Amino acid sequence: MTQSEPLVLLGTGTSPLDPARLDTGALSFREDVPATETGFALIDTIDGRIAASGRLLISTPAEMSLIGERLRCEQPQAAPDFLDRMPEGAVTGALSGTVPQLRALMTVARGTALRQRLALVDDEGKTVLRCDLWDLRPEAGQAVSVAVLVPLRGYDKALRRIARQVGAQGTAADPARAAALLRGEDPAATGKAAPAIREDQPAFEAAAAIIREQIAVARSREAGTIADIDTEFLHDYRVALRRVRSVVSLFKGVFSEAETARLKTRFGAIMARTGRLRDLDVYLLERAEYIALVPESRRAGLSRLFDRFAEERADEQAKLAAWLGSKGYLQEIGRLERLFAKASRLEQGPLADRLAPDYARALIWKRYRKVCKLAAHIQDAPDEQVHELRIHCKKLRYLMEFFAPLFGASEVKSLIKSLKRLQDNLGLFNDYSVQQVSLEEAQAGIAADPDAQTAEIAAGIGALVAVLAARQAEERARVAASFARFDSDETRAAFRKLFKPGEDAR
Amino acid sequence: MKIVACYSNKGGVGKTATSVNIAHGLAKTGKRVLLCDLDPQGASGFYFRVKPSKKLTEDRFFTDVKRFTDAIRGSDFENLDILPANMAFRDFDVFLSRMKNSRSRLKKALASVDGDYDVILLDCPPNISVLSESVFKTADAILVPVIPTTLSERTFEQLLEFFAERDLPKKKILGFFSMVQGTKKLHAETAAAMRAAHPKRILDISVPFATDIEKMGVHRAPVAAFAPGSPAVAAYDALCGALAGRL
Repeated sequence: MTQSEPLVLLGTGTSPLDPARLDTGALSFREDVPATETGFALIDTIDGRIAASGRLLISTPAEMSLIGERLRCEQPQAAPDFLDRMPEGAVTGALSGTVPQLRALMTVARGTALRQRLALVDDEGKTVLRCDLWDLRPEAGQAVSVAVLVPLRGYDKALRRIARQVGAQGTAADPARAAALLRGEDPAATGKAAPAIREDQPAFEAAAAIIREQIAVARSREAGTIADIDTEFLHDYRVALRRVRSVVSLFKGVFSEAETARLKTRFGAIMARTGRLRDLDVYLLERAEYIALVPESRRAGLSRLFDRFAEERADEQAKLAAWLGSKGYLQEIGRLERLFAKASRLEQGPLADRLAPDYARALIWKRYRKVCKLAAHIQDAPDEQVHELRIHCKKLRYLMEFFAPLFGASEVKSLIKSLKRLQDNLGLFNDYSVQQVSLEEAQAGIAADPDAQTAEIAAGIGALVAVLAARQAEERARVAASFARFDSDETRAAFRKLFKPGEDAR
Repeated sequence: MKIVACYSNKGGVGKTATSVNIAHGLAKTGKRVLLCDLDPQGASGFYFRVKPSKKLTEDRFFTDVKRFTDAIRGSDFENLDILPANMAFRDFDVFLSRMKNSRSRLKKALASVDGDYDVILLDCPPNISVLSESVFKTADAILVPVIPTTLSERTFEQLLEFFAERDLPKKKILGFFSMVQGTKKLHAETAAAMRAAHPKRILDISVPFATDIEKMGVHRAPVAAFAPGSPAVAAYDALCGALAGRL
């Protein structure tokens, strides 16, 4: 019913609103609610989705407060979890659409919160503005203050008067920056990882910088994978390590051949530990969808198969968690970290000293030409060639993403976008194919050790494989058209302009 | 949105205290309430520490929706806003009578905040006038505090007669007993007689004569804000319940 919305002011360090330092005229502050000092937790997804949406979720023993620049809502405290498993309320309602289904909310920082609630009153003792002041002092990270100014209807003047002064007084911070400070992260590094590679850098240094960064991302996902907070931790972990391997294998001539082989083996050994769990995660995430694909009569058998997957997943998760916490793993990943921290210990290849932009152009252009060549006659080519095309597209995508900062991120981004559409088609083709194979493997495993459910499960698998084969064929039929769409004149011109300049387009 | 008028054609019956405490009581239950202080002798705005708005002095006020909504002030209590009284309200009924279609204009001014409020509570001036009549027509319910004395009984019957003469819907009238002193035999007898005579018009609710209600002037707040355990609060809450049931 208040006409003006609450105004939220975030600041670094101590409170941005020091009542003693404000010129309030005939108005004065008094305590509205006695001050409290409690523990607090900053709640977010590991990748900071709430902060990225311009809000902070602060949980205290009494309640959860969602604080944004023009918003504040509250609901009783609840343990962080997947959004749809948390109680319904103003906060969880406001977060739907921000927190993806697969991401769990978790405590990302904790500490002590001093909360003061003041009322600004006029000479009649009438409240004209409420001030909800938080001093958040995290155990790690830096202190952040929050001032929520809640105007009362018809008293906007008081709000403006105080807001003006507070704005001039404090060190302002936006919610994303405030969250980074509380988490003890570099506020500049929030959002998507943008590696610190530069135009004047040799290719070798650029490669090392990208790998360093991806190892750090992978390591930041270890704890969540061990705690099994959500399946995205392992996914992120694998994506980061896959990027590392891509740099190692795609940046040809940057490392010596022997070094490349060694690094491939070492990172490959780590990745190998995680594959089965990820496969099972993917199955289980799609459980409902898969079951819906097969006829009613085959659903019970398929359900049993998924129950077995769920059991296996629990075992795999425990195994991986134990391994990620083991001395052996920690030593190995630590060594790899140190290896790239001081890259001088790495054996360089013949192209190590080439400047990153020249090196990148040559790599990307070559890969792009390869994609075009392979795709030219894809309509009648054997399926193996579609798989090959998919892999080349993926490598092209990685290369473009790695080097995007060197070539005008927005131009590269639009090329990546059109490439992605082609990749989606190829990816589905591949997924359906891989799933058929792995379902048949699962079937073989179950048949080797038969029990009362074997026949029912086999029938379920048979039905699903049939549907997946049909879907794969559908995707296969679309590949040529997908490529034709990707292979437009504009895209060709853009690739040439960015990665093969100095030559006229055909 | 429901419009509730708090009205008495006799002064000093606890009408403003009723308005203030009912407004606060309804807001406590989660209803969004706008209390309009229309009584120049009353002081419902005073009890909420809200200063009269200068903007209300102009004649255009009730024709101008924005002026109306801009004059509204948030009280210190959740869900409760105040439209404060103003000197110009002394001429309020005259102003209304000068207007053609005063009913529809008043209605329009009130409807302009529709969606904002569940209940608009009018603290009305204590005389039967053009304003009163238009309020009677507009309101969904009319709360009438009655001190159980012979004189008040007569005034209440005058109000019923007025409704009959003007063909106004009597069923809107919700009388209740105010400033009741349990020790007074006369109060008990009059109350019983009135309930018997007007069983549909008089609620079985008695707000006691309480020092806590008198202390509202000192605290400048509704009774429940400084004496939540007072028997007066229980009576007002019962009145809120009965009112909500009628709306």
